Amino acid sequence: MLRAMSSSERFVALTLAWAVAGAALAEEPARQTAPAQWLERMNQALTTRNYDGTFSHWHGGRVEMLRIIHRVQDGTVSERLASLDGSGREFIRTGASLTCYLPDQRTVLVEQRPPDESLVSFPALNDQTASFYDLREVNRTRLNRRDTHVITVSPKDEYRYGYRLWIDDSTAMPLKTQLCDTRGHVIEQIVFASLTLSAHIPDSAFKPEVSTVGFKWLRNESAPPALAAATQAWNAMRLPPGFRIAARSAQTLPGSTDPVDHLVFTDGLASVSVFVESQRREQVDQPSMPESATVGSSSAFSTVIDGHKITAVGEVPPDTVRFIANQLKAQEPPSVGSRRP
Amino acid sequence: MNEELDSQLSAMFDDELAPGECELLARRLSRDEQLKARWGRYAVVGAAIRSERGVRLNAPLAGLVSAVILAEPALAAAHGARRTGVRWWQPLAAAAVAAGVAAVSVLWLRAQAPLAAAPLSARLTAPTATVPAAAVVPAAAAGAPDSYVVPRTPAVRATVVVPSTELANYVVAHSVFSSPVTRRNLLSAFMTGESGTAAEEPRDDAQGNVQ
Repeated sequence: MLRAMSSSERFVALTLAWAVAGAALAEEPARQTAPAQWLERMNQALTTRNYDGTFSHWHGGRVEMLRIIHRVQDGTVSERLASLDGSGREFIRTGASLTCYLPDQRTVLVEQRPPDESLVSFPALNDQTASFYDLREVNRTRLNRRDTHVITVSPKDEYRYGYRLWIDDSTAMPLKTQLCDTRGHVIEQIVFASLTLSAHIPDSAFKPEVSTVGFKWLRNESAPPALAAATQAWNAMRLPPGFRIAARSAQTLPGSTDPVDHLVFTDGLASVSVFVESQRREQVDQPSMPESATVGSSSAFSTVIDGHKITAVGEVPPDTVRFIANQLKAQEPPSVGSRRP
Repeated sequence: MNEELDSQLSAMFDDELAPGECELLARRLSRDEQLKARWGRYAVVGAAIRSERGVRLNAPLAGLVSAVILAEPALAAAHGARRTGVRWWQPLAAAAVAAGVAAVSVLWLRAQAPLAAAPLSARLTAPTATVPAAAVVPAAAAGAPDSYVVPRTPAVRATVVVPSTELANYVVAHSVFSSPVTRRNLLSAFMTGESGTAAEEPRDDAQGNVQ
């Protein structure tokens, strides 16, 4: 409780510090933009602008303050997300390198993504997306002295979450975001307390504050297996309405030498990753129990199918990841403990 | 906040305030931001109780609430937004944390007999523990006619599980493929959650039962 109260007091103070500066102010607001276009503009703003902001994150009865710094420079995206309260965790992305500092676990995860992967345009809204969400602009209002468009994204079934977004008229940045469950209840909220759009953000802004002395570093240093050889065996027999497979990759995860198949399903807004990995020899004879977990409003579900551990993760309701994970099948049954070529 | 007003709020919450005074206080709630924020916290208890016991607003009280809403521009705006809004801001959406809706929640709460029987300490502790002021204040402070519903099952969702290292790997890998706004939510939750490991799936959680 004290933690939450401390955060809220801090929030009020930070709200007073609200500032949007830089070239963005000179932009012409788009008065007649359709809701879908606002979402596209917002995605563009989040992924292509330089910004430094502090926001409150509320979920499950807790509120914490975080700072996000985002920069696109010479085509390279750098991003730093840090918890200002409590955990002290930090997530830093520089180009294809993702680094997660977990002081509470005294661990650092370093993941090197393939250079051709892009965060900018995935997933993308399209006409099919509109079949599964109702997009509306329900209001225009002032938020922290900024003109905002309130856009609602309402799911038409129970396989996905909905959003309510307060999008800044000038910059298209989402100043406030609410995530709603399938019943329409707000389960997660992000509100910017301060936000600065800058032409230049120095490299020093992307250095971690946490000391890593004595930490365990886990990296995915081994080269991922060839895509075609590693990932063609697994597919989802059925998917929730609107979901389609959008990406496949084979990779190794930090701290592991075993390859993992990574399948991504999306409906254009929500996405679910499914990871398929062979059970280790010592795990094969153990009874397998499905497991579920949550990360904020996102869900994870893990089970074992044909001697492979299947884990689905996504910003969707728990039943959706469970459904998708249970639908994974190998096209040709693999032998236990070995990978299909 | 002076003691007398605080006392009135408590009495209202405990269903011990006369109907006339109750209405006056509701009107004041629609104008007083500080009061709204305080009641927003109480409202969460209502949401929790509603979730747990399935209580509903009785008809006479619903009439009173409607009258108050329609008489106050700020509340009427919020009410209108709810009526024309999308389906996730539903009933008693009112119940929420922001602007004038807090008054509705108050009136709704006091109608519930189960609440009156609940230990006072539980009622007073739960809201401050489960509803951060930051989740309440921004909307009211912005003057926006917000009306959103507090989490339906805060007791269930109160435990924020951040995964073991293995699941952390999955989350980070998945974040690359999330849309920008959902990715920010995902990583923010990852940054702020408590340490823990994946929990065993509840055996009584039937398939198809969403949340």
